[in-house]
Amino acid sequence: MTQMIEVLLSGMTQGAVYCLIAIGLSLVYGASRILNFAHGSLYTLGGYIAWYFVVGYFSLPLWLGILAAIPILAASGVAIERVIIRPLRSSANWKVNTIMVTLGLAFIIENGLQLVFGPGTKTIPAFAEGVVTMGGITLSWYKIWIFVVSLGLVGALEFFLTHTRYGQAVRAVSQDMQGASQVGINVNQVFALTFALSVVLTGIAGILLAPVFLISPLGGWGPFLKAFVIVVLGGLGSTKGAFVAAFILGVLEAYIIFFLGSNWAMPAWLVMLIVVLMIRPKGLFGVWEN
Amino acid sequence: MKTQNQHAPARTISSVFTGRGFVKDSLIFWAVVAGLAVLGALIGDNYIRHVFILVFIWCIVIASWDLILGYAGIFNYAQLVFFAFGAYSSAMLSIYAGFTPLLSIACAAGVGAAVGALIALPSLRLKGEYVALFTFAVHLALPPVIQQGKAIGMGGHTGLLGVPWLNLFGHQVSTIDKLTWFWVSLAFGSVCVYLIYFIVLRGRMGLAFIAMRDAGTFAQSIGVNEGKYKLLAFVVSAVFTAIAGGVYAHYTTVVTPKILGTEFFLMAMVMIAVGGLGRFPGAILGVFIVVIGNELLRSFDDYRLLLLGVAVVILVIFFPGGLVGLQRRRSAGRGGQ
Repeated sequence: MTQMIEVLLSGMTQGAVYCLIAIGLSLVYGASRILNFAHGSLYTLGGYIAWYFVVGYFSLPLWLGILAAIPILAASGVAIERVIIRPLRSSANWKVNTIMVTLGLAFIIENGLQLVFGPGTKTIPAFAEGVVTMGGITLSWYKIWIFVVSLGLVGALEFFLTHTRYGQAVRAVSQDMQGASQVGINVNQVFALTFALSVVLTGIAGILLAPVFLISPLGGWGPFLKAFVIVVLGGLGSTKGAFVAAFILGVLEAYIIFFLGSNWAMPAWLVMLIVVLMIRPKGLFGVWEN
Repeated sequence: MKTQNQHAPARTISSVFTGRGFVKDSLIFWAVVAGLAVLGALIGDNYIRHVFILVFIWCIVIASWDLILGYAGIFNYAQLVFFAFGAYSSAMLSIYAGFTPLLSIACAAGVGAAVGALIALPSLRLKGEYVALFTFAVHLALPPVIQQGKAIGMGGHTGLLGVPWLNLFGHQVSTIDKLTWFWVSLAFGSVCVYLIYFIVLRGRMGLAFIAMRDAGTFAQSIGVNEGKYKLLAFVVSAVFTAIAGGVYAHYTTVVTPKILGTEFFLMAMVMIAVGGLGRFPGAILGVFIVVIGNELLRSFDDYRLLLLGVAVVILVIFFPGGLVGLQRRRSAGRGGQ
């Protein structure tokens, strides 16, 4: 029984981090209708930037490494939007073209990281050691930290989206791009902002998970696929949906790994994706649109 | 290939619709194929023949991808899944069941049809980028499944070794025999490409695909059965790609999960990006340029994949229509979007 609860709790911490990745994906899709296939490799990029600061070249503590990585991640987000996405937005086949370029970008980041850091795996030491035991249930402090930081970031994002002018502009663009631009919202600025936020969120998720999983150049596809399943279950473009779905699927994954072994995790995600798409393609909270 | 580019009726789709110039285009196509066949005999160098064999096999894959992505407008990114299924099933049938390779390639086509239908079924209910993600997810999830498939003889990580040589009417064609392979792969490639671009896409099916792509709702309202034709797009595309996979398996005699790795996928993307979608012979020209270019880049092996990725991004941003888009833009007399 205590083991079951432990699995549940570890699934929830995992879900909290998945939530960060998924919300980043969903935010960009919601605002600009662009599915960023490079999202997973940006997750990996976050891990490598933190590794560079914490282990590789400077010996900063992890929290400082995260703070140092944030502006770099945000700048890459803005750069991606400016250089790669914006020129395509007005083209006739922008949908297939943006899929192509973001896939291409994913491969550029992957292979770039592989060239710079080598194909091997890297790890970052956790900033919290030890475990806490309560009523026979053991949880590591680090997982508790991950959980708290992730939820804090999601909460901050939700506050930003609902209570600030920029956040409201993002939501306005998500609802009606043309209408938003007619009332004077700078749509391009909003796109850049959502890309920056999205890259920062997924990058931080990559950093937080680096001590638990290892960082490797090709390691981003797994989180990307998971984030996508979460976003589909929650409904593309819905932050609330992504939040709920992340916990459902995170816990489900934890139980599947516990009962069947970690080899089945990825096939299980694919099955979950197919089941969700067959039963409720618009997701829990999503609006089906053309 | 240059001359073919100039004469092909790629400029306006309407001429393709009506089948105008069908006989002339067919003649040009087969003339080019015949020219290539002669060229194969003239080239003395086996390495160059090898490169051309790869070109011909890739042509089938890219033509079928163009069929579903460019003509039918379905964002299918599971093309190499079909290829992998074709290669594995053909290899396994000839290794374990002792089928003669030509028969096992035919069976691989059947397997391809089944896999295509299987992937199509969830995709039929999905729209736009959901299809892209679902199909790409299948692509990403397949290598671990192949690893698990070691138990049923899929060879796991090292793959299947010792796939039998092609047996042409009692004559064993070894991998070393590049000249025969050149002609065999040219025959497979030209027939498949001809069937795809001239028979399927110029017929009723192609019309329905283009109608669905350009005006989905309108196409349905005039009686195009969307579900049926989307399913057909997947199945036809998968059948041809699986045949390519089978030919590839018997040519290299080794099948590994590398087929689903980054390199193959990137190559396919660059070919499409170079050639341009939905306008014959764009994608086919893309195959020639990219496979040959990739071989020329062999000396930069460390940077090759990075360069391919950069090529995709730059080409899509600056030449969104690929080669055919460029030609079309010039003949339209003005640049820009």
